[in-house]
Amino acid sequence: MAYLEARGLGRDFPGVTALDGVDLSVELGRTHILAGENGAGKSTLVKILTGADRATRGSIAIDGQNPLDHPDLFRKIAYVPQELSLFPDVSVAENLFMPFDRTGHGGLVNRRRMEAEAQEYLDRFGIEAKPSDMVRHISVPDQQLLQIARASTNRDMKVLILDEPTSALTAREVERVFRVIRSFLDRDHAIIFISHKMEEVFEIGQDYTVLRNGRKVDAGRVAEIDEAALIRAMSGREVAIDEHFRPDCPVTDTVMQVDNLSGPLFRDVSFTLKRGEILGFAGLVGAGRSELMQTIFGYRKASGGHVRVDGRDWRLNDTAASVAGGMLYLSEERKAHGIFPLLSLRENIGLSVLSLTTGATGIDSRKERGIVARVIGDYGIRASGPGQRIATLSGGNQQKAIIGRAMATTPRILIFDEPTKGIDIRTKAEIYRIMKRLAEEGVGIILISSEMTELRRCASRIITMHGGRLTGSFDAASTETETLVGAIFATGTGAGGSTPEDAEASHVN
Amino acid sequence: MSTEHSAQTRRPPALTLLMRNPLAGVFVALVAIFAISAVISPYFLSGYNMSVIARGLAFVGLVTIAQSSLMILGELDLSLGTIGGLCGVVSGMLMVQAGLPAPMALILALCLGLALGFLNGLLVTVLGLHSLVLTIGTAGIYGGAILVLTKGVAITGIPAGIQFLGRGDVLGVPVPFLIMLAVLAIALFLSLKTPMGRYMYAIGNNPAAARMLGIRVDRIRLLVFTLAGMLSALAGLLMVARLGTAQPSIGQTWVLAPIAAAVIGGVATTGGVGSPLGAIFGAGIIAIIENIIVLFGVSPYWQGVVSGVIVVLAISFDALSRRYLRRDGA
Repeated sequence: MAYLEARGLGRDFPGVTALDGVDLSVELGRTHILAGENGAGKSTLVKILTGADRATRGSIAIDGQNPLDHPDLFRKIAYVPQELSLFPDVSVAENLFMPFDRTGHGGLVNRRRMEAEAQEYLDRFGIEAKPSDMVRHISVPDQQLLQIARASTNRDMKVLILDEPTSALTAREVERVFRVIRSFLDRDHAIIFISHKMEEVFEIGQDYTVLRNGRKVDAGRVAEIDEAALIRAMSGREVAIDEHFRPDCPVTDTVMQVDNLSGPLFRDVSFTLKRGEILGFAGLVGAGRSELMQTIFGYRKASGGHVRVDGRDWRLNDTAASVAGGMLYLSEERKAHGIFPLLSLRENIGLSVLSLTTGATGIDSRKERGIVARVIGDYGIRASGPGQRIATLSGGNQQKAIIGRAMATTPRILIFDEPTKGIDIRTKAEIYRIMKRLAEEGVGIILISSEMTELRRCASRIITMHGGRLTGSFDAASTETETLVGAIFATGTGAGGSTPEDAEASHVN
Repeated sequence: MSTEHSAQTRRPPALTLLMRNPLAGVFVALVAIFAISAVISPYFLSGYNMSVIARGLAFVGLVTIAQSSLMILGELDLSLGTIGGLCGVVSGMLMVQAGLPAPMALILALCLGLALGFLNGLLVTVLGLHSLVLTIGTAGIYGGAILVLTKGVAITGIPAGIQFLGRGDVLGVPVPFLIMLAVLAIALFLSLKTPMGRYMYAIGNNPAAARMLGIRVDRIRLLVFTLAGMLSALAGLLMVARLGTAQPSIGQTWVLAPIAAAVIGGVATTGGVGSPLGAIFGAGIIAIIENIIVLFGVSPYWQGVVSGVIVVLAISFDALSRRYLRRDGA
């Protein structure tokens, strides 16, 4: 008998059935993959399993008992959300034990004793930070592991649900998290692992359940299914995973030239972006890729160097001038930098096309509705209507709205920063197709990605960064992944491409 | 079983509309309170009483338009009341003590309001100060300046020529109320039909995303602070015209009431939602209730308690209806 059993779970909302007849059985000592596209019902299912929501139909059994009769059983299930939910200005130890009802020290907080106990958890989970460090100052993988450690301070916990725990991590950091997960599994616990990334599913998964449109469509042992079949189950159709999306057009003149640019977290960066190519940027988190692009875009202050676009000097430190000049930066931080959460889908899209819709008598609502309807249609944004608050759309649909909004302004240069973070496979392919089409239409495209497969499938050329400096520039089709990884870690194996010294030399002339 | 379930969660569409659209909700509340007042007091609907309410609403209404616009932007200016008072007093001094022609004195005083609002905006944008904390300070400075200039004594002898602006009627409607309606119309046009208005909502929602979209965030902030200062000065001048004296106490009630009105009208203190129209509806609700208190001869000391209770009720209703909507997964 499985430890966690769900039978025929259904959950109805007015007008929508979010979940229907879903079975799930999770055994101790194993990692269970929960797969499905955005909106497949994964989060609804997780909410029911953790007691945050109640099923309309069906039953759950935890350790053979119904948790609705014994609510304490829900304490056996711990959930680690995808977004970091730590307190940034509070110490690691306090974050770990918040709200201090698990320390067993009574009503007072004894800092020394708490930090000593925290150290045990940090050791067990391989977290390099000190208990007294502020969470704001520790690395992203440490934060991710701290969230898992925090869930495990609940001594009753048997099943740990991890919702895309690696979406903010690079390959090597993912390895660290996986090592911790595996060692944790030896302890007679189970893990439910939610992920979009195929390589992770096959690396860590043992059992799997696939949801689609609120129904269970497949379940079994990971060893008995292959990647193509799993993707087919998730999307309901064939998706060619080895398809590439490099632009099929000649690379022509220079769109943008960056010379010796310096700024926060990066120094002395020079590169050119040509028309007709997708220029990929590879590197670890903290290599300075986002900071570099945000500086070119004017969001951060440049401390030296200059940028030329179409042969003319580009004004730095002014996002309004950048947008007016046809450059757009689509941040990886959708929530922090992309959406206006309380405004409707229509207002969110309309904001970037005001120059098109505003006439002598103010904003022309009919024109705006027309443009918004076209963006919603062209980019396949699934919403109840243009009036729906954007914060209530799924992540993938928010991302499509942000991309569609940018496209409506006919940009000349588009910078995509991790455009597929937390997005399902089918939507990913749609975004790749959009980038390819734009590049072929002559828009300069820069793609920052931490997924090597994504860069290899989309980019024409890949520039690697390490520690705020460029470490190489490679033709994507003819370079081995090992060479790229070498350049990312700056181990000196990146012999295939030009070094920063070469790049500098070419600018001296 | 499924039909039974859907019957349970279905509710009247009118109720849903009310809860989804805060403007409709506060409007219904305003109409209801108006109707109840008309029923319980025979004097309420008299022409004289109506014009008393409208005239009173005009002054605080102008400041409410200013404050609610700042709140949509995610800012707050606690010095709007003392800006109004200071500009009123200065206009009185210019007319009476300096002997300037009234129109010129009024324009200079409006410019002073503009400058003080601009100063608040400049400190918020350039130094990155928190507007709530900053304007606690500037409110003290401007309020102190009133006392320094007047030594606490009202300036009398305001030219009768301008008193029409505060006391006059056009077709039975008080002039300051008409001015307030005109300002409201402009504010609504700006907020609904111009990029500037859209930018205000965007900045109130997410200033970082607004910058990423190429919106000149600081410029909009500066502009709204400046206009808010000017509107408060206008309220102060009209009050001087109404009273016929420049009282040092002008503006003292324009600090919390406009914020309360905006909150009742659906403007979030956290920014990004609401409308100046809703805020004026909120101000109307407060004005009617204060009027009823007077008509029933209740001690005016109760006014603060009553308007405080309304604010608490309004935000509680808002929070409850939002929770109700969310529970249905809407």
